Amino acid sequence: MSSKRVLAYILLILSIVLLAVLSVMLGTASHDDPSFIIIIKSIRLPRMLAAVILGGALSVSGYLLQVFFGNPIAGPFVLGISNGARLMTALALILLLDRGVHLSSLGLVAASFTGAGIATAAVLMISRRTRRMSVLVLAGVMIGYICSALTDFAITFADDHNIVNLHNWSMGSFSGMNMKGVVISAVLIFTGLIGAVLLKKPIGAYLTGEEYARSVGVNIQLFRFALILVSSLLSATVTAFAGPISFVGVAVPHLMRRLFRTSLPGCMIPACFLGGAAFCLFSDLIARLAFAPTELSISAVTAIFGAPVVIVVLMGRGARYE
Amino acid sequence: MSDRDSLIRVQDACIGYGSRKIVSGMDFTIEKGEITALIGENGSGKSTLLKTITKEIPLLGGSIEIDGRDIARLTAHDIARIMAIVMTGAVRTEYFTCYDTVASGRYPYTGRLGRLREEDRQKIEEAMELTGITELADRYVTDISDGQRQLVMLSRAIAQEPMLLILDEPTNFLDIRHKMLFADTVRELAASKDVAVLMSIHELDLVRDMADRVIALKDGAIDSDGPVDILTDEYVKRLFRLE
Repeated sequence: MSSKRVLAYILLILSIVLLAVLSVMLGTASHDDPSFIIIIKSIRLPRMLAAVILGGALSVSGYLLQVFFGNPIAGPFVLGISNGARLMTALALILLLDRGVHLSSLGLVAASFTGAGIATAAVLMISRRTRRMSVLVLAGVMIGYICSALTDFAITFADDHNIVNLHNWSMGSFSGMNMKGVVISAVLIFTGLIGAVLLKKPIGAYLTGEEYARSVGVNIQLFRFALILVSSLLSATVTAFAGPISFVGVAVPHLMRRLFRTSLPGCMIPACFLGGAAFCLFSDLIARLAFAPTELSISAVTAIFGAPVVIVVLMGRGARYE
Repeated sequence: MSDRDSLIRVQDACIGYGSRKIVSGMDFTIEKGEITALIGENGSGKSTLLKTITKEIPLLGGSIEIDGRDIARLTAHDIARIMAIVMTGAVRTEYFTCYDTVASGRYPYTGRLGRLREEDRQKIEEAMELTGITELADRYVTDISDGQRQLVMLSRAIAQEPMLLILDEPTNFLDIRHKMLFADTVRELAASKDVAVLMSIHELDLVRDMADRVIALKDGAIDSDGPVDILTDEYVKRLFRLE
């Protein structure tokens, strides 16, 4: 590995450490507050860990989708997959809460995964009919809107005292995280990351194009299925615990490609994870502190920093993909 | 050439898509180190034959043997170690270097995580040397010319150490200099490494420069099969219905 890449990794890790310390230390509660330690342990620490784990997962999920579609502006939010996951999770929560059933974390992830799967299937059907990057993304955004509208209907008509919680989650936030949630999401995401690393070799071949990948022995159908499965597991876990978070999956892989100057998965999978973690820690810090004690939704912050990246990619590459 | 030097043996083969037969009753063998050009009009079955040999589509009838083994019994991994392809389209991934591209040719030989061993790196460098693109190694595939990119794809195929090189209209968008360069490199490869080449190609001048032998497809059958000398003006006019 070149020394520049080592330096870039060190830079990312240092910024994560710095942002993590700031996340835990900064806030409205003062040091002499008797409950300070409890606030740190049960609120800020799990929230910080969630930003690291879920932010990293979201970014890796986006990288895998970009490989899949051969499209640098694919991502779980842009393609409507996060909102599909959100819709199913919201429906599961509302329907079960109505019956007084408490849904476990794994149940939430299962609902979220189902939603991600349905939205991905819709995007795949559209991608068969068009090779144009802009049409695919536009279709994804529309799918996202439809799912989002249905979720809003469901939340509006749901009759429950937990609706405030539900509303918070459905805007996208790391605030509801506890240590148990952190552990469960860490296990699921670690599984997803192992899957991504095991796909490293065929991803490298797939970057040369489907036909060439087949010619060196990649089982294309199996590979594409595995890629979508791993990407969906990652993005569904994020949505189940933190709701839809915009633009991390599309912006961070692009920034990492620029930083590391490669598309190779061996470098990009860890880089995207670290970059996504840093990006979400930073965004969550702003969401919490910018207008404290009022809190912004995390998506509002990630969109402000992430969406311009997408515009830059579109302007720079537009001509080539049309 | 003696019988044991034949690499591909096609007997009474029928090719096409599903129930639609495109060419039937095909019989020919291809020797190691031999360069064979497939010519014929669009839709005459050139690409269909190449896709059948790479097992992208199934053989509809008859038999094809490669290196003494029935094609039906070859796995994707076997195929990848026997043959490599170069097509018209090349890699366009951003932040992807020429070296990365050539390295992907080592896929059938590397372990589960695709880590390159010293031997792999040597093969990659050799392949780039053979096509004269060593100095492009660290350049991105998006930053070089179409002609250079096709040489990168050829290097990738060479790094795959094939016995059979399949070329599907690889020179379509190249300028004359790169067409010649491409042709020379393929000739050198066939001669030095005893690689058989089977190519579908439209430029007949290039066929005369490059190939040892021509198989012409017309009206659902092999119209003629022989040395490049068979490409007389009269024959070409008849084959492509120019009169």
